[in-house]
Amino acid sequence: MSKARAPRGPILPPPSEGGRAFEVFRQERDGEPMRHAGNVLAPDPELALHYARELFGRRQESLRLWVVPREEILDLDDPDLLQPPLDRSFKKPGGYVMRDKLAAARARAGHEEEPA
Amino acid sequence: MTVGVPDTGTAADVQERAAIAELLLSLADDEFVIGYWDSEWTGIAPFLEEDVAISSLAQDELGHARAFYELLAELIGGSADTIAYGRQPDDYRHARLLDRRRTDWAFTIARRYLYETSDSIRLAALEHTTFEPLAGLVAKIRREERYHLMHLDLWLRRLAVPGSVGRARLEAALATLWAVAGSVFSPLEREADLLRAGVLDAPFSELFSRWCAAVGPVFDELGLPFEPRQPARDGRGPGHGPDFQWLWTELSSVYRSDPGATW
Repeated sequence: MSKARAPRGPILPPPSEGGRAFEVFRQERDGEPMRHAGNVLAPDPELALHYARELFGRRQESLRLWVVPREEILDLDDPDLLQPPLDRSFKKPGGYVMRDKLAAARARAGHEEEPA
Repeated sequence: MTVGVPDTGTAADVQERAAIAELLLSLADDEFVIGYWDSEWTGIAPFLEEDVAISSLAQDELGHARAFYELLAELIGGSADTIAYGRQPDDYRHARLLDRRRTDWAFTIARRYLYETSDSIRLAALEHTTFEPLAGLVAKIRREERYHLMHLDLWLRRLAVPGSVGRARLEAALATLWAVAGSVFSPLEREADLLRAGVLDAPFSELFSRWCAAVGPVFDELGLPFEPRQPARDGRGPGHGPDFQWLWTELSSVYRSDPGATW
Protein backbone atom coordinates (compact mmCIF):
# COMPACT_ATOMS: atom_id res chain seq x y z
CA MET A 1 0.00 0.00 0.00
CA SER A 2 1.52 3.28 -1.03
CA LYS A 3 1.38 6.56 0.81
CA ALA A 4 0.87 9.84 -0.98
CA ARG A 5 3.94 12.02 -0.52
CA ALA A 6 4.90 15.50 -1.45
CA PRO A 7 8.01 15.99 -3.62
CA ARG A 8 10.98 15.86 -1.26
CA GLY A 9 13.41 18.30 -2.77
CA PRO A 10 17.17 17.81 -2.66
CA ILE A 11 18.50 15.24 -0.19
CA LEU A 12 21.15 17.67 1.04
CA PRO A 13 21.11 21.43 0.93
CA PRO A 14 23.28 23.01 -1.76
CA PRO A 15 26.91 23.47 -0.68
CA SER A 16 27.95 26.76 0.78
CA GLU A 17 31.08 28.58 -0.29
CA GLY A 18 33.15 25.56 0.82
CA GLY A 19 33.00 24.34 -2.76
CA ARG A 20 30.97 22.10 -5.05
CA ALA A 21 29.41 18.89 -3.83
CA PHE A 22 30.56 15.64 -5.37
CA GLU A 23 28.92 12.29 -4.78
CA VAL A 24 31.26 9.35 -4.29
CA PHE A 25 30.63 5.74 -5.26
CA ARG A 26 32.98 2.93 -4.35
CA GLN A 27 33.63 -0.66 -5.29
CA GLU A 28 34.76 -2.74 -2.37
CA ARG A 29 35.65 -6.03 -4.05
CA ASP A 30 36.20 -7.28 -7.56
CA GLY A 31 32.91 -7.99 -9.31
CA GLU A 32 30.79 -6.06 -6.83
CA PRO A 33 28.66 -3.13 -7.95
CA MET A 34 29.58 0.49 -7.30
CA ARG A 35 27.70 1.62 -4.20
CA HIS A 36 27.08 5.11 -2.95
CA ALA A 37 29.65 5.91 -0.25
CA GLY A 38 28.96 9.54 0.63
CA ASN A 39 30.03 12.93 -0.62
CA VAL A 40 32.77 15.52 -0.43
CA LEU A 41 32.94 19.28 -0.89
CA ALA A 42 35.78 20.49 -3.08
CA PRO A 43 36.61 23.59 -5.11
CA ASP A 44 37.10 21.54 -8.31
CA PRO A 45 36.95 17.99 -9.71
CA GLU A 46 40.66 17.30 -9.29
CA LEU A 47 40.61 18.07 -5.56
CA ALA A 48 37.32 16.19 -5.26
CA LEU A 49 39.10 13.08 -6.51
CA HIS A 50 41.85 13.54 -3.92
CA TYR A 51 39.36 14.05 -1.12
CA ALA A 52 37.31 11.04 -2.21
CA ARG A 53 40.52 9.04 -2.04
CA GLU A 54 41.22 10.35 1.47
CA LEU A 55 37.71 9.83 2.82
CA PHE A 56 36.74 6.57 1.11
CA GLY A 57 39.99 4.94 0.02
CA ARG A 58 42.91 5.71 2.29
CA ARG A 59 42.48 2.53 4.34
CA GLN A 60 42.57 0.21 1.32
CA GLU A 61 38.79 -0.24 1.59
CA SER A 62 38.09 0.51 -2.07
CA LEU A 63 39.23 -0.91 -5.40
CA ARG A 64 37.63 1.85 -7.45
CA LEU A 65 35.94 5.19 -6.87
CA TRP A 66 33.52 7.16 -9.03
CA VAL A 67 33.31 10.84 -8.23
CA VAL A 68 30.37 12.68 -9.74
CA PRO A 69 29.47 16.38 -9.52
CA ARG A 70 26.15 16.39 -7.69
CA GLU A 71 24.55 18.72 -10.22
CA GLU A 72 25.27 16.15 -12.97
CA ILE A 73 23.05 13.59 -11.28
CA LEU A 74 19.56 13.36 -12.80
CA ASP A 75 17.31 13.40 -9.78
CA LEU A 76 13.83 11.89 -10.00
CA ASP A 77 11.65 11.78 -6.92
CA ASP A 78 8.23 12.69 -8.39
CA PRO A 79 5.64 10.66 -6.43
CA ASP A 80 3.26 10.60 -9.42
CA LEU A 81 5.92 8.67 -11.34
CA LEU A 82 7.42 6.61 -8.56
CA GLN A 83 4.69 6.13 -5.96
CA PRO A 84 1.35 6.31 -7.85
CA PRO A 85 -1.73 5.95 -5.65
CA LEU A 86 -3.58 3.07 -7.37
CA ASP A 87 -2.98 -0.61 -6.65
CA ARG A 88 0.17 -1.75 -8.48
CA SER A 89 0.30 -5.26 -7.09
CA PHE A 90 -0.33 -6.71 -10.57
CA LYS A 91 3.05 -5.29 -11.65
CA LYS A 92 4.88 -7.24 -8.99
CA PRO A 93 5.95 -10.85 -9.54
CA GLY A 94 4.11 -11.87 -6.37
CA GLY A 95 1.04 -9.82 -7.28
CA TYR A 96 -1.31 -12.64 -8.29
CA VAL A 97 -2.16 -15.61 -6.14
CA MET A 98 -1.82 -18.20 -8.87
CA ARG A 99 -2.30 -21.53 -7.10
CA ASP A 100 -6.12 -21.64 -6.99
CA LYS A 101 -6.44 -20.37 -10.55
CA LEU A 102 -3.97 -22.99 -11.76
CA ALA A 103 -5.84 -25.75 -9.91
CA ALA A 104 -9.15 -24.67 -11.45
CA ALA A 105 -7.64 -24.53 -14.91
CA ARG A 106 -6.20 -28.01 -14.55
CA ALA A 107 -9.54 -29.37 -13.30
CA ARG A 108 -11.27 -27.91 -16.32
CA ALA A 109 -8.74 -29.52 -18.56
CA GLY A 110 -9.30 -32.89 -16.89
CA HIS A 111 -5.92 -33.20 -15.24
CA GLU A 112 -5.42 -34.45 -11.76
CA GLU A 113 -4.43 -31.80 -9.32
CA GLU A 114 -0.79 -31.94 -8.52
CA PRO A 115 0.10 -32.47 -4.89
CA ALA A 116 0.67 -29.19 -3.12
CA MET B 1 71.01 7.86 23.09
CA THR B 2 73.15 8.51 20.06
CA VAL B 3 73.26 6.22 17.09
CA GLY B 4 76.25 3.89 16.86
CA VAL B 5 77.12 0.85 14.80
CA PRO B 6 78.32 -2.49 16.28
CA ASP B 7 81.93 -3.08 15.18
CA THR B 8 81.62 -6.70 14.07
CA GLY B 9 82.85 -8.07 10.71
CA THR B 10 85.61 -6.72 8.53
CA ALA B 11 86.63 -3.09 8.57
CA ALA B 12 84.88 -2.63 5.21
CA ASP B 13 81.66 -4.13 6.58
CA VAL B 14 81.73 -1.83 9.58
CA GLN B 15 82.39 1.18 7.37
CA GLU B 16 79.57 0.27 5.00
CA ARG B 17 77.12 -0.36 7.84
CA ALA B 18 77.98 2.98 9.40
CA ALA B 19 77.34 4.71 6.08
CA ILE B 20 74.01 2.92 5.64
CA ALA B 21 73.04 3.82 9.19
CA GLU B 22 73.78 7.48 8.51
CA LEU B 23 71.66 7.36 5.36
CA LEU B 24 68.76 5.56 7.06
CA LEU B 25 68.78 8.03 9.93
CA SER B 26 68.59 10.99 7.54
CA LEU B 27 65.70 9.37 5.63
CA ALA B 28 63.84 8.46 8.81
CA ASP B 29 64.33 11.81 10.56
CA ASP B 30 63.18 13.75 7.48
CA GLU B 31 59.92 11.79 7.28
CA PHE B 32 59.46 11.84 11.04
CA VAL B 33 59.84 15.60 11.41
CA ILE B 34 57.73 16.62 8.38
CA GLY B 35 55.12 14.14 9.57
CA TYR B 36 54.98 15.79 12.99
CA TRP B 37 54.97 19.34 11.62
CA ASP B 38 52.12 18.72 9.21
CA SER B 39 50.09 16.79 11.76
CA GLU B 40 49.88 20.17 13.53
CA TRP B 41 47.16 21.01 10.97
CA THR B 42 44.77 18.38 12.25
CA GLY B 43 41.59 20.17 13.27
CA ILE B 44 42.57 23.57 11.84
CA ALA B 45 43.25 22.99 8.13
CA PRO B 46 41.52 25.37 5.67
CA PHE B 47 38.47 23.09 5.32
CA LEU B 48 37.27 19.73 6.50
CA GLU B 49 38.26 17.61 3.49
CA GLU B 50 41.75 19.10 3.42
CA ASP B 51 42.01 18.54 7.16
CA VAL B 52 41.56 14.82 6.53
CA ALA B 53 43.94 14.92 3.56
CA ILE B 54 46.85 16.73 5.23
CA SER B 55 46.48 14.63 8.37
CA SER B 56 46.52 11.47 6.28
CA LEU B 57 49.64 12.64 4.42
CA ALA B 58 51.33 13.43 7.72
CA GLN B 59 50.41 9.99 9.01
CA ASP B 60 51.88 8.37 5.88
CA GLU B 61 55.20 10.09 6.60
CA LEU B 62 55.24 8.81 10.17
CA GLY B 63 54.59 5.33 8.73
CA HIS B 64 57.57 5.69 6.41
CA ALA B 65 59.70 7.00 9.27
CA ARG B 66 58.77 3.97 11.35
CA ALA B 67 59.79 1.62 8.54
CA PHE B 68 63.18 3.36 8.16
CA TYR B 69 63.75 3.40 11.94
CA GLU B 70 62.96 -0.33 12.05
CA LEU B 71 65.55 -1.04 9.35
CA LEU B 72 68.03 1.06 11.28
CA ALA B 73 67.24 -0.78 14.51
CA GLU B 74 67.95 -4.11 12.80
CA LEU B 75 71.29 -2.74 11.66
CA ILE B 76 72.50 -1.08 14.87
CA GLY B 77 70.35 -2.62 17.63
CA GLY B 78 67.77 -0.93 19.82
CA SER B 79 64.20 -0.33 18.71
CA ALA B 80 62.46 2.03 16.33
CA ASP B 81 60.87 3.80 19.32
CA THR B 82 64.10 4.40 21.21
CA ILE B 83 65.75 5.78 18.08
CA ALA B 84 62.76 7.94 17.18
CA TYR B 85 62.00 9.34 20.62
CA GLY B 86 65.02 8.66 22.82
CA ARG B 87 67.44 11.19 21.38
CA GLN B 88 68.29 14.80 22.20
CA PRO B 89 67.35 17.50 19.66
CA ASP B 90 70.94 17.86 18.43
CA ASP B 91 71.08 14.15 17.56
CA TYR B 92 68.36 14.44 14.92
CA ARG B 93 69.58 14.48 11.30
CA HIS B 94 66.63 15.93 9.40
CA ALA B 95 67.36 18.55 6.75
CA ARG B 96 67.42 22.27 7.57
CA LEU B 97 64.35 22.65 5.35
CA LEU B 98 62.37 20.91 8.09
CA ASP B 99 63.55 22.96 11.06
CA ARG B 100 60.76 25.53 11.00
CA ARG B 101 57.20 25.25 12.28
CA ARG B 102 54.21 24.81 9.99
CA THR B 103 53.58 28.61 9.91
CA ASP B 104 50.68 29.43 7.50
CA TRP B 105 49.08 27.22 4.86
CA ALA B 106 51.15 28.69 2.01
CA PHE B 107 54.36 28.02 3.94
CA THR B 108 53.28 24.46 4.66
CA ILE B 109 52.50 23.86 0.98
CA ALA B 110 55.66 25.58 -0.28
CA ARG B 111 57.90 23.70 2.14
CA ARG B 112 56.11 20.42 1.58
CA TYR B 113 56.35 20.80 -2.20
CA LEU B 114 60.10 21.37 -1.99
CA TYR B 115 60.41 18.41 0.35
CA GLU B 116 58.21 15.96 -1.60
CA THR B 117 59.95 16.66 -4.88
CA SER B 118 63.38 16.31 -3.22
CA ASP B 119 62.34 13.10 -1.52
CA SER B 120 61.09 11.73 -4.81
CA ILE B 121 64.47 12.34 -6.52
CA ARG B 122 66.26 10.79 -3.54
CA LEU B 123 64.03 7.69 -3.47
CA ALA B 124 64.52 7.21 -7.21
CA ALA B 125 68.29 7.20 -6.59
CA LEU B 126 67.77 4.39 -4.05
CA GLU B 127 65.55 2.25 -6.25
CA HIS B 128 68.38 -0.07 -7.28
CA THR B 129 70.28 0.11 -4.02
CA THR B 130 72.51 -2.86 -3.21
CA PHE B 131 71.19 -2.81 0.37
CA GLU B 132 68.36 -5.27 -0.22
CA PRO B 133 66.06 -4.46 2.73
CA LEU B 134 66.04 -0.82 1.67
CA ALA B 135 65.30 -1.63 -1.99
CA GLY B 136 62.06 -3.40 -1.07
CA LEU B 137 60.96 -0.64 1.26
CA VAL B 138 61.76 2.15 -1.19
CA ALA B 139 59.65 0.49 -3.89
CA LYS B 140 56.63 0.47 -1.55
CA ILE B 141 57.16 4.01 -0.29
CA ARG B 142 57.47 5.36 -3.83
CA ARG B 143 54.00 4.03 -4.64
CA GLU B 144 52.55 6.03 -1.72
CA GLU B 145 54.60 9.13 -2.49
CA ARG B 146 53.06 9.33 -5.97
CA TYR B 147 49.85 10.58 -4.41
CA HIS B 148 51.73 13.01 -2.14
CA LEU B 149 53.36 14.56 -5.20
CA MET B 150 50.01 14.83 -7.00
CA HIS B 151 48.42 16.53 -4.02
CA LEU B 152 51.24 19.01 -3.46
CA ASP B 153 51.56 19.83 -7.15
CA LEU B 154 47.85 20.58 -7.24
CA TRP B 155 48.04 22.87 -4.20
CA LEU B 156 51.13 24.71 -5.42
CA ARG B 157 49.33 25.51 -8.68
CA ARG B 158 46.21 26.70 -6.89
CA LEU B 159 48.13 29.00 -4.57
CA ALA B 160 50.17 30.35 -7.50
CA VAL B 161 47.13 31.84 -9.27
CA PRO B 162 48.29 35.38 -10.17
CA GLY B 163 46.81 38.22 -8.17
CA SER B 164 45.46 36.00 -5.39
CA VAL B 165 46.14 36.21 -1.66
CA GLY B 166 47.50 32.69 -1.98
CA ARG B 167 50.08 33.88 -4.52
CA ALA B 168 51.31 36.66 -2.24
CA ARG B 169 51.63 34.29 0.70
CA LEU B 170 53.27 31.62 -1.43
CA GLU B 171 55.88 34.08 -2.68
CA ALA B 172 56.56 35.29 0.86
CA ALA B 173 56.97 31.71 2.10
CA LEU B 174 59.28 30.71 -0.77
CA ALA B 175 61.45 33.78 -0.17
CA THR B 176 62.21 32.51 3.32
CA LEU B 177 62.85 28.96 2.10
CA TRP B 178 65.40 29.25 -0.71
CA ALA B 179 68.35 29.28 1.67
CA VAL B 180 67.45 25.77 2.85
CA ALA B 181 65.38 24.53 -0.12
CA GLY B 182 68.02 22.06 -1.32
CA SER B 183 69.10 20.87 2.11
CA VAL B 184 67.61 17.39 1.67
CA PHE B 185 70.61 16.92 -0.65
CA SER B 186 73.21 18.00 1.90
CA PRO B 187 76.16 15.65 1.44
CA LEU B 188 76.43 12.92 4.07
CA GLU B 189 79.69 12.41 5.92
CA ARG B 190 80.01 8.83 4.68
CA GLU B 191 78.59 9.40 1.23
CA ALA B 192 81.72 8.03 -0.51
CA ASP B 193 81.16 4.67 1.20
CA LEU B 194 77.54 4.60 0.03
CA LEU B 195 78.59 5.26 -3.55
CA ARG B 196 81.40 2.69 -3.44
CA ALA B 197 79.02 0.01 -2.16
CA GLY B 198 76.31 0.89 -4.68
CA VAL B 199 73.84 1.80 -1.95
CA LEU B 200 73.20 5.18 -3.57
CA ASP B 201 73.38 5.68 -7.35
CA ALA B 202 74.88 9.20 -7.44
CA PRO B 203 76.40 11.82 -5.09
CA PHE B 204 73.94 14.18 -3.42
CA SER B 205 75.38 17.08 -5.41
CA GLU B 206 74.26 15.21 -8.56
CA LEU B 207 70.83 14.51 -7.02
CA PHE B 208 70.51 18.22 -6.28
CA SER B 209 71.15 18.95 -9.99
CA ARG B 210 68.53 16.36 -10.99
CA TRP B 211 66.06 18.02 -8.63
CA CYS B 212 66.75 21.50 -10.07
CA ALA B 213 66.27 20.12 -13.59
CA ALA B 214 62.97 18.49 -12.62
CA VAL B 215 61.44 21.24 -10.48
CA GLY B 216 62.86 24.46 -11.98
CA PRO B 217 60.58 24.22 -15.06
CA VAL B 218 57.46 24.03 -12.85
CA PHE B 219 58.41 27.30 -11.15
CA ASP B 220 59.18 28.85 -14.55
CA GLU B 221 55.78 27.75 -15.80
CA LEU B 222 54.10 29.40 -12.81
CA GLY B 223 56.22 32.55 -13.12
CA LEU B 224 57.73 31.98 -9.68
CA PRO B 225 61.42 32.48 -8.90
CA PHE B 226 63.48 29.32 -8.40
CA GLU B 227 66.54 30.16 -6.33
CA PRO B 228 67.80 27.19 -4.31
CA ARG B 229 71.41 27.31 -3.13
CA GLN B 230 73.90 24.49 -3.50
CA PRO B 231 73.35 22.50 -0.27
CA ALA B 232 75.95 22.91 2.44
CA ARG B 233 77.71 20.03 4.15
CA ASP B 234 76.26 21.01 7.54
CA GLY B 235 72.66 20.85 6.28
CA ARG B 236 71.63 18.18 8.80
CA GLY B 237 73.81 18.62 11.86
CA PRO B 238 73.17 20.00 15.35
CA GLY B 239 71.58 23.43 15.72
CA HIS B 240 68.04 22.82 14.49
CA GLY B 241 66.82 25.97 16.20
CA PRO B 242 64.01 26.99 18.58
CA ASP B 243 61.07 25.73 16.46
CA PHE B 244 62.41 22.19 16.38
CA GLN B 245 63.33 22.42 20.06
CA TRP B 246 59.63 23.12 20.74
CA LEU B 247 58.50 20.28 18.45
CA TRP B 248 60.91 17.85 20.09
CA THR B 249 59.57 18.76 23.53
CA GLU B 250 56.06 18.01 22.26
CA LEU B 251 56.72 14.83 20.33
CA SER B 252 58.98 13.22 22.92
CA SER B 253 56.97 14.23 26.01
CA VAL B 254 55.15 10.91 26.40
CA TYR B 255 58.28 8.89 25.75
CA ARG B 256 60.30 10.92 28.25
CA SER B 257 57.63 10.55 30.94
CA ASP B 258 58.52 6.83 31.16
CA PRO B 259 61.31 5.84 28.76
CA GLY B 260 61.22 2.12 29.59
CA ALA B 261 57.47 1.71 29.16
CA THR B 262 56.13 -0.97 26.82
CA TRP B 263 52.83 -0.65 25.01
